[in-house]
Amino acid sequence: GDRLNGFENGKTQLLCLCVRLQVVLKIIKHYQEEGQGSEVVQGVLLGLVVEDRLEITNCFPFPQHTEDDVDFDEVQYQMEMMRSLRHVNIDHLHVGWYQSTYYGSFVSRALLDSQFSYQHAIEESVVLIYDPIKTAQGSLCLKAYRLTPKLMEICKEKDFSPEALKKACIGYEHMLEEVPIVIKNSHLINVLLLDLQEKSTVADKHELLNLSSSNHLEKSLQLLMDRVDGMSQEIVKYNTYCRNLTKQQQQKQQYLQRRQQENTQRQSRGEPPLPEEDINKMFKPPQAPPRMDTLLIAGQVNNYCQNIKAFTSQNLGKLFMAEALQGHSS
Amino acid sequence: MSRFFATGSDSESEESSSADEITPKATGTTFSKQALLLSDDEEDTKRVVRSAKDKRFEELTNIIKTIRNAMKIRDMSKCLEEFEQLYRAFLKSKTIVDKEGVPQFYIRLLADLEDYLNQLWEDKEGKKKMNKNNAKALSTLRQKIRKYNKDFETEIVSYKENPEQSAEEEEKDDIGSASSSKSDDDEDVTAKSLMKKKPQEEEKKAPEASKFLKGAADEESESEEDEESEDWGSDSVDSGGESEDNEGAAASLAVVFLKKAQDGDKQPERKKDDRRKRHKKMEQVDEEADEEGEGEEGGWEKVKGGVPLVKEKPKMFAKGTEINNAVVIKKLNEILQARGKKGTDRSAQIELFHALAGISNENNLGEGILVKIKFNIIASLYDYNTNLAAFMKAEMWKKCLECIDELLDILFENSNIFIGENIAEDSENLAISDQPFRVRGCILTLVERMDEEFTKIMQNTDPHSQEYVDNLKDEGRVCGIIDRLLQYLESKGSTEEVCRVYLRRIMHTYYKFDYKAHRRSLGLQGETKSEQDQEESEGEDSAIIMDRLCKFIYAKDRTDRIRTCAILCHIYHHALHSRWYQARDLMLMSHLQDNIQHADPPVQILYNRTMVQLGICAFRQGMIKDAHNALLDIQSSGRAKELLGQGLLMRNMQERNAEQEKIEKRRQVPFHMHINLELLECVYLVSAMLLEIPYMAAHEFDARRRMISKQFHHQLRVGERQPLLGPPESMREHVVAASKAMKMGDWRTCHSFIINEKMNSKVWDLFPETQRVREMLVRKIQEESLRTYLFTYSSVYDSISMATLSEMFELELPTVHSIISKMIINEELMASLDQPTQTVVMHRTEPTSLQNMTLQLAEKLGGLVENNERVFDLKQGVYGGYFNRDQKGGYQQKQNYQRAPDQRGGYQQKQGYQRDQKGGYQQRQNYQRGGYRNQNQSSY
Repeated sequence: GDRLNGFENGKTQLLCLCVRLQVVLKIIKHYQEEGQGSEVVQGVLLGLVVEDRLEITNCFPFPQHTEDDVDFDEVQYQMEMMRSLRHVNIDHLHVGWYQSTYYGSFVSRALLDSQFSYQHAIEESVVLIYDPIKTAQGSLCLKAYRLTPKLMEICKEKDFSPEALKKACIGYEHMLEEVPIVIKNSHLINVLLLDLQEKSTVADKHELLNLSSSNHLEKSLQLLMDRVDGMSQEIVKYNTYCRNLTKQQQQKQQYLQRRQQENTQRQSRGEPPLPEEDINKMFKPPQAPPRMDTLLIAGQVNNYCQNIKAFTSQNLGKLFMAEALQGHSS
Repeated sequence: MSRFFATGSDSESEESSSADEITPKATGTTFSKQALLLSDDEEDTKRVVRSAKDKRFEELTNIIKTIRNAMKIRDMSKCLEEFEQLYRAFLKSKTIVDKEGVPQFYIRLLADLEDYLNQLWEDKEGKKKMNKNNAKALSTLRQKIRKYNKDFETEIVSYKENPEQSAEEEEKDDIGSASSSKSDDDEDVTAKSLMKKKPQEEEKKAPEASKFLKGAADEESESEEDEESEDWGSDSVDSGGESEDNEGAAASLAVVFLKKAQDGDKQPERKKDDRRKRHKKMEQVDEEADEEGEGEEGGWEKVKGGVPLVKEKPKMFAKGTEINNAVVIKKLNEILQARGKKGTDRSAQIELFHALAGISNENNLGEGILVKIKFNIIASLYDYNTNLAAFMKAEMWKKCLECIDELLDILFENSNIFIGENIAEDSENLAISDQPFRVRGCILTLVERMDEEFTKIMQNTDPHSQEYVDNLKDEGRVCGIIDRLLQYLESKGSTEEVCRVYLRRIMHTYYKFDYKAHRRSLGLQGETKSEQDQEESEGEDSAIIMDRLCKFIYAKDRTDRIRTCAILCHIYHHALHSRWYQARDLMLMSHLQDNIQHADPPVQILYNRTMVQLGICAFRQGMIKDAHNALLDIQSSGRAKELLGQGLLMRNMQERNAEQEKIEKRRQVPFHMHINLELLECVYLVSAMLLEIPYMAAHEFDARRRMISKQFHHQLRVGERQPLLGPPESMREHVVAASKAMKMGDWRTCHSFIINEKMNSKVWDLFPETQRVREMLVRKIQEESLRTYLFTYSSVYDSISMATLSEMFELELPTVHSIISKMIINEELMASLDQPTQTVVMHRTEPTSLQNMTLQLAEKLGGLVENNERVFDLKQGVYGGYFNRDQKGGYQQKQNYQRAPDQRGGYQQKQGYQRDQKGGYQQRQNYQRGGYRNQNQSSY
């Protein structure tokens, strides 16, 4: 019943996402326990839609399983899990999924595909991206994304040719939309938190000016470079395609002209014109490279850039502050 | 019998007689083979005819039997199948049927079958119960038989009208013929019924009769007329009766049984008897045929063996013949003529030659003829194996060696014998002893061939067996023969021949390490050695021999190949004995690298072996770079084994067919000449490690870093991929582990990985001067580790004391000083030496890793932009746009900037970066302008 509250015909936009603290902690815990390095952990978000906001009240992880045990049925597991949760009176409606990220790399084909299928099946689905590294540095990084209607449309068509994308007028900026997140707690928890804040010692607050930059920045740069390489390759591919296409079109044109000349000659001699052959058969247009990957890469590059920018601006601020402090003291 | 036929009408007898006449002809055509074989035996001919008919009819009755069985169990598909077979069998026996008439049992079956089928067809319910296959078969069979029976309509009608009669009649025919009185009676009975259809009946009867007529005729001779012919009758009765039996309820049953009852008890026995007899006869015939065949074969064999006439007369000459040169030569030529012919017994030929040699020896015919015979013996020994791939048997080989030795003995003893290939057969002088002998033949070729045979024997012996060692012992003899030949040719042969024999000598020398000379050079000679050893070491150094022989070839040889081989062997020998500079200079002077690819494969293999040896030599001398370069080609292909001719690689058959494989096998180098592949790989990998690790450390952040050794990197990667790193086992693992240690500048660990017991036994102990090599290696490891350490960790230091470094790497201070100075001069290390404190002061001009990364990123972005521009240009339709710009410089310029400071290094690098950025900036402006212009152009 309440599922359709704000989402009749999908007209209403999802304006806000309320995430319970429990969910956040669970996700963090999940990563802490199972994820390491560039490995990614994933899980299911549960909750319900209230008016124009989606409330995520619970979640559970996808179990890690190797590729060897084929018997494992993920869907089965999810169904079981949700049924069990329902028995203990927890929201059991599937509203999306979460995934950890490694230095902000998450815009990939896999994410696109699964988010598309989620959104296709359950309209209000979101994907929560949790960045454990940033979180470890002290600022919780949790972001919610949805595919834009435009992208949904394209994915539905499954046509990723250059023309289709051009027609759809889609750029990397319009692929994902971020949904603002509000972390909401029950009052009791708020009280507890405040209480804890009071009690906690102010011991490790000297770290404020720690730059801790080079490693993070290096990693980000490395990843960025990798993607730039990928982008270059894509472009080269596309370039070759374009050139081939032009070349072929020229050939086609030449062929047509020759044929026309021949026909006029024949006509003047009173012979029947040569039969029209299927020109498309003779000149098969080259296979167009799918452009979706390029878009995704662009999105990812953009993402990295944003990250780096945010990071550096923060650090610059710190540097100035440190300088000022030093100048002051000396 | 004749009486019986005499009672018949005229036409009948005529027919019968005509049939009689025709028979032999007909059989002659159909069984021409047998007829021919046995044409002399009248009786047998007839028997065959009879059995042919019988065979056909038996076949038919057998099929009929199965059909009746199938009918009984209503197996229609079986029925159909058998019917088709029957039809075919009937067609086959058409010739017989033509003259004998359609057998009654055949008609009977046709009629019965049709009835039966119609009956089944009518039985709708039964049909429904039938399975699909059967039903289908039924309908086809019904159609078929209906069609088929049209041909036999009259017969069938007659049969149907009087099934009993006709069945009976058949019996009658059969049995009646046996005893005339009975048949007479029967005829009375049947006459009436026969009246209407007499013509056909007659037709039917006549062949039957004729059959028996014949049967009787030949049985006459056996004087068993009655019994035998009765047998015949009973046979057909039997078949009929059996089929009737099967049918179960035929009308004629009673009659048949009645008749049969008379001699029922006798029948089986007789039948058996008869069968046995016939069997015997057949066997006899078979045997005869076989014998004849064998006889023929035997004859053929004789012809085959008959070519060498000599076989029959092991005595060479008739007794009393005066044995003189002419006779012996004639004989020799006689034997020679058989040579190479198919079917010539080659071992016998060798024996013959030996015998001939003995005879000529006995009779003192002079050396000329002996030499001639010896030549031929050796030649035929080589001929013994027609297959090129096969190798000589041990005894042959021994014989061959002996023969050549003897031949050489003769040649040495008698200086008045001239031999040569160019002496024509007719100008030979074998006899007249006051003139010098002239013999056609080339001893050198024989010896060369012998050498090849030796190689072949070694190739085909399992190298890990005692046999190989035993065979290898013959090498002394081979060398001895070559040496003697060498002496002989030096006095008598032409320079060409001398070159050839020299090369043989070289080939047996170049790969052997001269321990004596080695010991002598070390000054160990004579002190503790026994006298024998001393005696042995008296001999000429192999180096001197090699030098002498090779130089002669260089000077005198006119064929390129011999010289090339000699040079390669010479280099190999130098390299083997660690005379690096001589070896290298010779290699460089020969310019062989340029055109070796045009040489034939064996020479190429020799070249590869030489290069490898050269590389190993360089390594021993501590010329790591040279070693690496020399070995690079061989090792990088991953086919070292194949390139060195030390084994075939497993490949699929598409790349190499059996023929090629054989050829390649023949090229293999015998095992005792092999170069240890593990040693080779180890030397290569260690050289690569010593070069690559410092290089990698120096260029850690260089985007365009090239690899020095791909194979080494491959090994490193393999090592990295290992999920669990245990202590190294194989040689490769040792090197990989050592490399890892070296990367950290940890020379002690590196040392312990490279030089330890395992590696010693596997690799290092294989060198003649093990200790020296190991010392060299340790030193190299220390030096390169120091360099690696400085590259890797210089950014951490402000300054390092050289004394500390010298302590760390256990190198003397001057060495450390020189290494660091070299690095500074080469601008590999941004530092300066502070003399008074003996420290290295770092300049810290190297970009940090983050800076490096940013630079790389900038470069990549540049590429990206460039690529993007191209797309844009295409879109704008200005095709040549970006080409122009490329020429103008743009990015290339930028790359130049970057490369230039790299080379200049050091201080200027920073400026280089700045310039770089500027360059990039300008570029971007360029782009904008370019794009703008393009747009303008397109809009025009």
